[in-house]
Amino acid sequence: MIIPFYHVLILASLLFGMGLACVVAWRTNVIMMLIGIEIMLNSVMLTFVEGSARWGIADGQLFALMLIALTSAEVSLALAMVVYLHRRKQSVNTDDYGSMNG
Amino acid sequence: MTLYLALMLLFPLLGGTVSALAGRKLPRRLVEAGVCAAVWASFVCAVLAAASYRGPVSVEFGRWLSAFDLQAPIHLYLDPLSLSLSVMICFVCGLIHVYSVYYMADQADYARFFALLNLFVFAMLTLILAENLPLLYLGWEGVGLCSYLLVGFWYTDSNNATAGRKAFITTRIGDTALLVGIAWLFQLFGTFSIPQINGMGFLLPHGIVTAIGILFLVGAMGKSAQVPLMVWLPDAMAGPTPVSAMIHAATMVTAGVYLLSRMFPFIGGSAVTCAAIAITGGITAFYGATCALAQRDLKKVLAFSTISQIGYMMLGVGAGAITAATFHLLVHAFFKALLFLGAGCVITAMHHEQDIYKMGGLKDRLPLTFWPFLAGAACLAGIPLTGGFFSKDSILAAVFLKEGTLYTSLYLLALLTALLTSYYSFRLIYLVFFGSQVHVHTHGELKVMQWVLVPLALLGLFGGVLDLPGYLGGGFLDSFFGHQAGGEVGHSAAQEVALQGVAATLAIFGLLAAHWRYGGKSRVDRVRESSTRPSPLYAFLLNGWYFDRLYHAILIRPYEYLSGILWEKVDEGVIDDSLDGMSSGLGITGRWLGRWSTGKVSLYILSFAAGGAVVLGYLAWLTL
Amino acid sequence: MPTDFPILTLLVFLPLAGVLALFAVRKSDELVRMGALVVTLAELALSVWACGAAGAGAGAAGAPAGFFLYQDAQWIERFGIRYTLGMDGISLVMVLLTSFITVIAVGVSWRGIKERVPLYYALLLAMESGIQGVFLGLDLFLFYLFWEAMLIPMFFLIGIWGHGRRVYSAVKFFLYTFFGSLLMLVAIISLYLRHGAQTGTYTFSLFELIHTTVPYGTAIWLFAAFLFAFAIKFPLFPLHTWLPDAHTDAPTAGSVILASLLLKTGAYGLIRFGFPLFPEAARACAPLIYTVSVIGIVWGAWIAFAQRDMKRLVAYSSVSHMGFVALGIAAWSPVALSGAVIQMVNHGVTTGALFALVGMLDERTHSREIATYGGIWGKVPALSFFFLLFCMASAGVPGLNNFVGEFIVLMGTFKVAPGAAAGAFVGVVLTLIYTVRLVQEVLFGKEKKPLELADLSVREGGVLAVLGVAAIYLGVHPAPVLDIIKVPIALLTGVK
Repeated sequence: MIIPFYHVLILASLLFGMGLACVVAWRTNVIMMLIGIEIMLNSVMLTFVEGSARWGIADGQLFALMLIALTSAEVSLALAMVVYLHRRKQSVNTDDYGSMNG
Repeated sequence: MTLYLALMLLFPLLGGTVSALAGRKLPRRLVEAGVCAAVWASFVCAVLAAASYRGPVSVEFGRWLSAFDLQAPIHLYLDPLSLSLSVMICFVCGLIHVYSVYYMADQADYARFFALLNLFVFAMLTLILAENLPLLYLGWEGVGLCSYLLVGFWYTDSNNATAGRKAFITTRIGDTALLVGIAWLFQLFGTFSIPQINGMGFLLPHGIVTAIGILFLVGAMGKSAQVPLMVWLPDAMAGPTPVSAMIHAATMVTAGVYLLSRMFPFIGGSAVTCAAIAITGGITAFYGATCALAQRDLKKVLAFSTISQIGYMMLGVGAGAITAATFHLLVHAFFKALLFLGAGCVITAMHHEQDIYKMGGLKDRLPLTFWPFLAGAACLAGIPLTGGFFSKDSILAAVFLKEGTLYTSLYLLALLTALLTSYYSFRLIYLVFFGSQVHVHTHGELKVMQWVLVPLALLGLFGGVLDLPGYLGGGFLDSFFGHQAGGEVGHSAAQEVALQGVAATLAIFGLLAAHWRYGGKSRVDRVRESSTRPSPLYAFLLNGWYFDRLYHAILIRPYEYLSGILWEKVDEGVIDDSLDGMSSGLGITGRWLGRWSTGKVSLYILSFAAGGAVVLGYLAWLTL
Repeated sequence: MPTDFPILTLLVFLPLAGVLALFAVRKSDELVRMGALVVTLAELALSVWACGAAGAGAGAAGAPAGFFLYQDAQWIERFGIRYTLGMDGISLVMVLLTSFITVIAVGVSWRGIKERVPLYYALLLAMESGIQGVFLGLDLFLFYLFWEAMLIPMFFLIGIWGHGRRVYSAVKFFLYTFFGSLLMLVAIISLYLRHGAQTGTYTFSLFELIHTTVPYGTAIWLFAAFLFAFAIKFPLFPLHTWLPDAHTDAPTAGSVILASLLLKTGAYGLIRFGFPLFPEAARACAPLIYTVSVIGIVWGAWIAFAQRDMKRLVAYSSVSHMGFVALGIAAWSPVALSGAVIQMVNHGVTTGALFALVGMLDERTHSREIATYGGIWGKVPALSFFFLLFCMASAGVPGLNNFVGEFIVLMGTFKVAPGAAAGAFVGVVLTLIYTVRLVQEVLFGKEKKPLELADLSVREGGVLAVLGVAAIYLGVHPAPVLDIIKVPIALLTGVK
């Protein structure tokens, strides 16, 4: 069975919107924001893979692989920073990290 | 001729420059000899030029201002008018230089003094000999500058410096009018050449000639101390006496008369301008004479009499009698220089006392001053057969012969002025030289100074031969100037004798009045009265009709006051502060907007989402 | 001189190269001073050498008419930016003035500057490079680059070595001029795009952009942007208020360069770029320029009268004198424009000298208040002589330099716009009033306080004597300078 192109795109958009909503809704919690960002990235990845399948070009899959590598690096770095910040402020609430104010 | 003209200007310029730059290093005698030699060498050149004079000469030495059609070369022009004046200037200035050597003998700062004197001669000769108006203006401002610095020569007394400043600024007001006139002529003709402009005056509409003529008249008013720009001259007497003699009596102050005579072929084309000149001259003559009646300062009497006499010259120019005006200018230069130099001798002898009521009896103590001074006063008063009599009479005759109510009333005013002139001249003689003796101080320098008076006295007394009336064999100046004297009307010998009779009677009458009031015993009464409070009329005349106070109240005070207001309230207050306010307003806005960047990620995300929503909304709106 | 000798490049970058030389000797202040003097003198020699090319008369190969030295090379091809330098008579006169005044500036700061000497002279030289570039650049991008580059050294000169509220003044100076130049940048880019769209070639070259067809309404706005930038530099009323602050707080050499050179770049820009690029718009704006320049002439002179600080007085007098330059440019007739250019030179010499003199008095007594002085003539005759000479030059006494410029401007403007010229004549009187007040209160009268004054040193006397000779020479025989600028002015105004 062939899943229509648009269905995948709609799914990706839904995923993206959920991720975005997650970031906006839990904007005070670093962990939840990271999860939201991951979801958005994954929706993008899904789009790439589908595009690659649709046109039969490997570039999209390549990109997807690269994104996997990138997100793993990003998540490890971000979590390390969260741990570090938690140690300093005893909190994962972003509003407590205000020392960069203008 | 080229050589003579060049050298005539170069000698004083060189003398002045050398004294200015190296005068303090050189021996004093050398500087003194050098500056005197420079002026006398100029005189020799002027005489040689006169001897070889055959007709108007114009010589171009080089370029000065030259931009496209604006051409003002260094170009000299010698005609009877400039020739006669330059001979007179070199001669009188030469004598005054010699006099100054002795007058300034105890002054330490001689180099500056003589440098300025020489530069003055240079500037004055440039003014006289210039062929084009910018060069004339160079001389015109140059003499003003020298006058400014010489009046303020004793600069430590701020009164002197203020007097110099007043002279400079007042004359600059007139000069600016002259500059506007020059610009206008350039706009019309595209040339600055005086002979060319004079030849083209008839091409212009009457109104423009009148307007330009009035501008030139205002220029002349400033330089020649005519009403209403005359207030500077009495104050300028603060300068050393030789300076007053040279600049403020004989030469610079008559530059206005020279200017109008020089431009007469052009400005004479307008009867309105001529009338304006004549009215200015007549009123000034009267004004000066009335003020001279009440002065107590010896030099101020002479200053007001100078104003008055220049008024006569202006009157002559206004009546179209250029020859008569020049004649009076020349003779006046001799006798007024004489009077000032005589006053200098008196002041030196009196330990720098200038109040005439504190003088007396100098007739016997300073006979060598008295007799030339008397000759000078007689010329000033117009006692018959002196030079001043003939020259003043030729002006009066010219005014009388002009038709119309205006000129007739001016003639009557001039006659009244002649009477006053005679009266105040002899008032001076009686107060200074007669009566009880005071202690005087004579020294070696004074001897030489007094001898300088003699040639001037002779020239003043016999100056009349320059231009005798027709019935005495005709005049030299008249034939010399013949071709350019404009509207002089011929008149019969009988008329002339009658007019001279009237003038002579008035002069004698003035002498008698002065004798009655100030001679003999009544002199003592007058001296006693002088220490009491002056009457209002007397004070009015003494203060020069309160013109100074008027100008102070309506011009100087508002100017000073407004300059402060404009600076602190407007320039810094409104203009600068509004821009400063704008910048601080920007700063405040920036700080207010800056409060948005709280550093809280949550707020940023929300803002980001809002921004994204707006962009999406906009795009949606575009597509729908 | 060989024709391919890059004399213009050398003129622009020699001072910058000199900065490197100063860096090499930065350990010894004395060597730095000598080095700076040598570099500026070399620059002056080079400028005089360039005069030879003007004398030769022939136009350089491939140069627009009137340019006798020309250099053109590809620079940033992608954007059509070229490295174009050219020298015509007006540039030559300005380049000579720049080289001359910079030598003077080095001379006057010899003893006055004691801190961070190497940096000071480096900035001075860097600024000279920038100014020369402004006077020589013919590519609008290049011009703009130099225009901004010359601001930065001046900012630091005022900010580091200044007096009083120096930081405020430096920032004010920078913001004013920078704001103006940003508007100009917008106008330049707009012109560039418009020209590119019309012809297909994107270029910043002045002589290409001149041929751009700009609708009248747009041209007015573009010209206004240029005018605004230049008017701030000039400075024209009412954009002048940065000048008194900057002058008062700048070090002596800073004031000298600011008055003598930086103000001239505004006038030069208007002559070289503003008017030729938008002739109709400029003609339409002429009444505005007349008005503000006449107001500036009278305003500056009137307010100068009220000043208590000598530097501030001279600063306001600059506003007044530069009004004459603006008047001459606005009239845009051959005579008036000649007067404007020569007035730029004259104002540079006279005002530079006056700032130098005030600086010398300030070094001696640490006061610039007029009220401090009085009767100094007897004490310091040589200094007083020069003070008087330059004051009289500034007051427009004929025979000295300023008269020549003012006279020619007034004569030229009277022909075109009698009303505007008539207003300017008032300034002639007012100028004298504040000048003689300054002379009287400083030189004449009695001493108000006993001052420890020494007369001029040899160095100071030399500096002033050179300026004095220039003032008298330009006043007595300005014809050679007027001849140099005749060809370019004829070309600019379209007169044969």
